[in-house]
Amino acid sequence: MQNARLGRVGPKERESGVSFGEQIAQYVVSGLTTGAVYALVALGFCLIYNATRIVNFAQGDFLSLGGLMAYTFLTGAGLPMILAFPCAVVSVALVGALLERLAIRPAKSRQVMVLIFITIAASILMRGIFKHLWGKEALALPPLSPEVPLKVLGATLTPQNLWVLGMTLAAIVALLWFFNRTLTGKAMRATAINPSAAALMGIDANRMTMYSFGLAGGLGALAGVLITPITSLSYEVGVIMGLKGFAAAVLGGYGSFVGAILGGLVLGLIESLTAGLVSSVYKDAVAFVVLLLVLFLRPGGLMGVKSGDRV
Amino acid sequence: MTSSGKRFYAGLLALAVLLALLPLAVSNPYYLNVFNVVALNVMVVTGLNLLIGYAGHISLGHAAFFGLGAYISGILTGSYGWEPWLTLIFAAAVVALVATIIGVPTLRLKGNYLVMATLGFNLIVSVLMVQLDDITGGPSGYSGIPPLSLFGHAIATDQSFYWLAWGLVLVGLGLARNLVHSRVGRGLKALHESPLAAAASGVPIEAYKVKVFVVSAVYASVAGSLYAHYYGIITPATFDIFKSVELVTMCIIGGMGSLWGGLFGAALITPLPQLLAVVEEYKDIIFGGILLVLLIFLPQGVVGWLEGKRMRPGGRAF
Amino acid sequence: MAALLRIEGLSIRFGGLQALEDFSLAAPAGSITALIGPNGAGKTTAINCVSGVIAPDSGAVDFDGEAVLGLPGHKLARLGLTRTFQNLQVFGLMNVRENVMVGLHADSHGGFSAAMLRLPFLRRQEAAIRERADEMLALFGLEELAGQPAGELAYGDQKRLELARALAARPKMMLLDEPVAGLNPAETEQLGELIVKIKDQGIGVVLVEHDMALVMRISDQVAVLSGGKLIAQGPPDRIQQNPEVIRTYLGGGEEFGLLA
Repeated sequence: MQNARLGRVGPKERESGVSFGEQIAQYVVSGLTTGAVYALVALGFCLIYNATRIVNFAQGDFLSLGGLMAYTFLTGAGLPMILAFPCAVVSVALVGALLERLAIRPAKSRQVMVLIFITIAASILMRGIFKHLWGKEALALPPLSPEVPLKVLGATLTPQNLWVLGMTLAAIVALLWFFNRTLTGKAMRATAINPSAAALMGIDANRMTMYSFGLAGGLGALAGVLITPITSLSYEVGVIMGLKGFAAAVLGGYGSFVGAILGGLVLGLIESLTAGLVSSVYKDAVAFVVLLLVLFLRPGGLMGVKSGDRV
Repeated sequence: MTSSGKRFYAGLLALAVLLALLPLAVSNPYYLNVFNVVALNVMVVTGLNLLIGYAGHISLGHAAFFGLGAYISGILTGSYGWEPWLTLIFAAAVVALVATIIGVPTLRLKGNYLVMATLGFNLIVSVLMVQLDDITGGPSGYSGIPPLSLFGHAIATDQSFYWLAWGLVLVGLGLARNLVHSRVGRGLKALHESPLAAAASGVPIEAYKVKVFVVSAVYASVAGSLYAHYYGIITPATFDIFKSVELVTMCIIGGMGSLWGGLFGAALITPLPQLLAVVEEYKDIIFGGILLVLLIFLPQGVVGWLEGKRMRPGGRAF
Repeated sequence: MAALLRIEGLSIRFGGLQALEDFSLAAPAGSITALIGPNGAGKTTAINCVSGVIAPDSGAVDFDGEAVLGLPGHKLARLGLTRTFQNLQVFGLMNVRENVMVGLHADSHGGFSAAMLRLPFLRRQEAAIRERADEMLALFGLEELAGQPAGELAYGDQKRLELARALAARPKMMLLDEPVAGLNPAETEQLGELIVKIKDQGIGVVLVEHDMALVMRISDQVAVLSGGKLIAQGPPDRIQQNPEVIRTYLGGGEEFGLLA
């Protein structure tokens, strides 16, 4: 878990005679790229939290599955990338919805604590299945378009960097449109704000929860298809990414959409800058140190109005 | 003493007799080793159950407390020649302090902030165990930890550790039971149900939550110290976030808020990886599947479910 | 009569709503002070400020000669100020006797270590707690239900249980938030008598209540809140004649007929 490689720019670059400004630019680029992926994962956490108050610990596995499905659609089914990508996202969205339908809805207990543990059990089960189907070895998922590096402000940008940033932006715009312009989106928001009032208006809360899981699955898959060409792809790549997305969600103010996006980007930047300028050894600890500091000092997160509710 | 009190101590006595007879029937050191690991897990789970079952908060950082106990004991006795028993107490004190630092800011908030903080804490501790390799031995672990000794006898065999570990488990269960059946235990149950009314009744809710968290962390630390001296070598992987999940799982499967449930959960889940090793390929699938089914259909845990069947009105059976 | 509880200039805003504005009240021991007013007048907010559940923007609260504003609930309970809740807050999974025993927390000692070691003084104390709890159950007619989970009790029994819990630790003053709401006339009558009995023990009672008949019958003084402000205060018979009170109640559309 400690050696998951995120972003490709490490301290190595420092020796090759690039200027300090160019280095910083490079750290910012890679920080924003991983940050965007954290933001997607954090948004998935938010969606499910707002609908159910559950922290969904299977969110990271949605990411793994997105990458794995894309790999299979590409190499197994021989689809072109332009088809493999959406197929992967849709199939993981279905898995997300199924998780709600088969594990959360029939649960005898409505205690949040128990439901959280159901997602942990589901995560263990899913990882077991992934390992069985795709094996333990790392797989290679190609980037969305051929790798032709570009130079911008002294930083090297790959097309995949641009894909990550562009698709994340597109996903955010699509979510905004969905929640503000469509009836289903508005119904989901209503249920999140006041489930009993929404039920009185004839909204099926279970269905809305299922949609939340589906959307969260789709977002996770999107993150997986975008980031695994940069990192690597394996059955457990999502574990550490999921936990960092979780830290990003807390940093932003758990449950806040804007907070999730901001938290993801800020966390990505902090991580990349500490890895580059201080030491890459503790890179994976940085996110969780930030998580603890936020909880101790500003539990409402970046977007929190006040410092958490006192008992 | 109340009748439930008599029943608890009768149960404890029965357990003691069973434990005393067990080594006569089982002399294979492999099985003794499994029993010993069960004992250490029961110890952690007993403390964890006080937190989960009574204060209603989850910790996903108990493997880190377990690990801190192990590493502090291991390093101070191994590299610096400290006296093992005093080191065990010192480690518990350090862990208590760490738990206080985590608990005070997060437990005064409404909501499950403790689970987030402990999760982050465990991940940080795991990274430190690997990266501070000058002190901890890095990913391959720290070795050369001396065994404990009692009255001049080294506790170096599976057999002798069996007596020590289970003896301490019985003590730990007794202490936990006393706590639960005291005014403090009542206060904890009350604050779990209604913090408002508990406070209005005179229960210092914030202090109680922090203290029960600290007590549960100390149980984990003591078990960790014992673990270090038993194996003589400790590795970071033993104390990662997955171990924390496993420990909470033991609580939930057995039955939250039931001390016997914790014992049952630990005894059931500890040997599971070894049992499932024959079907290595399907290990996680089977484990995750069983866990999922139990959580969906038996959320009160196995022992909680049995107790519920036996005596619906009248509350808990221990 | 010296006031046991003295509230001075309490104000609090929730967003755009001035829930309390410069509210002052003095409540003596051994006496029932009723706090009435239309819905949303700020009665429960006042109780919540005094009992440490919410912090007012400004003001002061003195209890038994001590400034207590900002103290957490358990410290107030230790000082002898307990309360009940408008929406029931019994510990549903604990049995009835245990509920009352929790109420004795404020009147007992011993922390975690003592409890884990089951020190002898705790065993003696536990017996005393049990005895006092049973006394309370007898007083409130709940002894038959002692072993039942509190959550399974009838509504009226739960209301009485809350009162028993708040009284168990021998408080100097009790804040009762709508103790008879939802009870039938017979139960209301019975609970009213219990409240008078509590007062006769020398305990101060602050009573927030909508049941005007009960308020006018048992209170020694009545304070009327409207829109967060105190609009009248005095003995029940004078309050019933007060034109502003009458206007408030008619304007608020409340059942004024009950005042008779």
